[in-house]
Amino acid sequence: MRLLPFFKDKFLLLLLHLSCMAALAAFLHLTGYGSAGILLLLICWLLILSAWFGITFLRRRRYFGEISQIMDQLDQRYLLGELLPPSFLLEDRLYRELIHASNKAVIEGIRSLEQAQKDYREYIESWIHEVKAPITGISLLSENGRRSRDAELRKAMEEICLENQRIENYVDMALYYARSEQVYQDFLIQRTDLQQVGQEVLEKNRLLLIGNRVQARVDCPDPVYTDRKWILFILNQMILNSVRYCSEAPVFSIYTRKEQDGVVLAVEDNGVGIEPGELSRIFEKGFTGTNGRERKRSTGMGLYLCRKLCDQLGIGLRAESEPGKGTRLLLEFPISRYVSR
Amino acid sequence: MYMDCKIVVIEDEPLIRRELKTLLENAMYQVTAVEEFQGLADRVLAEQPELVLLDVNLPQQNGFDLCMQLRQQTQVPIIFLTSRTDSMDELNGMLKGGDDYVTKPYQAPILLARIAAVLKRTRGARRETAVYSHRGVALDISRCCISRNGESEELTKNEMKILHRLYRQPGEYVSRLELIEYLWENQVYIDDNTLSVHVARIREKLRSLGVEEFVETKRGIGYRI
Repeated sequence: MRLLPFFKDKFLLLLLHLSCMAALAAFLHLTGYGSAGILLLLICWLLILSAWFGITFLRRRRYFGEISQIMDQLDQRYLLGELLPPSFLLEDRLYRELIHASNKAVIEGIRSLEQAQKDYREYIESWIHEVKAPITGISLLSENGRRSRDAELRKAMEEICLENQRIENYVDMALYYARSEQVYQDFLIQRTDLQQVGQEVLEKNRLLLIGNRVQARVDCPDPVYTDRKWILFILNQMILNSVRYCSEAPVFSIYTRKEQDGVVLAVEDNGVGIEPGELSRIFEKGFTGTNGRERKRSTGMGLYLCRKLCDQLGIGLRAESEPGKGTRLLLEFPISRYVSR
Repeated sequence: MYMDCKIVVIEDEPLIRRELKTLLENAMYQVTAVEEFQGLADRVLAEQPELVLLDVNLPQQNGFDLCMQLRQQTQVPIIFLTSRTDSMDELNGMLKGGDDYVTKPYQAPILLARIAAVLKRTRGARRETAVYSHRGVALDISRCCISRNGESEELTKNEMKILHRLYRQPGEYVSRLELIEYLWENQVYIDDNTLSVHVARIREKLRSLGVEEFVETKRGIGYRI
């Protein structure tokens, strides 16, 4: 609180005092009072007035200073109403009550939103859990159907398998999206054999990959400490991207490299690559880029989710690419993660 | 690999139960699917299974509890099947004595591989037939070679896996897709063209042993020996 605005605020009061002083001086003068006496009276008046102004200014400044300090220390600033310092002034007390009531409304609003969000998330989680049963049913049915002697039926079953896998992936994306927003984290950090994870991703997508004439290799001898199913999901998104933007004779490799400060897992393809100008944006939500727009089917969610999950797991995520030559996505597992185990 | 091994399936969804049974029977296991969920533990014990596939969400009780009950009386390997994917469940599964934990939707080959892995771990590696023979040509798995009349040719790992698949069903055509899928399930990730190259090399090796027309091609169908 500064002095000048304070005086501006009190301008009317000051004006009232000054006019009262002038009126009193005029009245005393007319009644024949001596000028020295009038002057003394006015000086006394002024002194008392300035002292009152001074003290009021200091008290007010201290009061508001205290409030802004409380405000700065608060995590949830809407809780200020609960913490306003006591004051004997009627105005302060009235404001305090109003702020309190207003904050209470905000808090209730936030509570109900949080509750609604929690309910929604729980519903999504349970929905995903339920929808997995029919997806499993379809998967087993079509998998068994592929053993049929009828070539046409086999072909149809294979296509159902592929489409069903797409559904499965979209469902998984929704699940991990719901989880990536969550405050509590659902990991189980354990020694993870990346070789196994890489092989599982390829095996899982074998129909899609074989259909796209992909050749692949997995060479991941270095174990890391992380959550297996999150890594599986992340690798799956990467492989699906590689298939989406693959070349005529696609070759994928998944390999690890031991570096001084950790283990780097690379997922490399020889696909269409990413324009240098777009490279930094591929992990953004909803970003599809030139490739995505040309080939459709891109949601711009896959790599965004990868980044979010990597952030939560403490894994570095980078991309290197040369248009026309291919793309390499790098996951950097810091060494501290397993030293501390 | 573990043919005739007796598996009990505990799953409350009738469709999944039926298809899972078919899948496992096609993979040459002996399967009993439990359809009554009263007194489950005793039912399972009465079957004397060599492996139990256990759904976590059951109508009367929780799969984890059943696992604990079973564990008090038997060391039979148990694989949990579940559609829930939180880490608490996974941890629970391990603490309650499960041997593995497979989440739905599982893919047939991955599930079969997990079952085989658990059986291998709990029963010890049972050696597969090490030498196959067809029309006088022997395929030796452990030495990774083919031989005829005392002469032999070494095979690469990939060539051996291709022949291994063909030797399992001599006289029957194996489609190219089936063959490539088999290879992908066995950690050989090649495409159609590479398969042709490998088959050409196998034929060359066979020729040097004096065998012609051993691997037959039928256009649009596949290969057979």
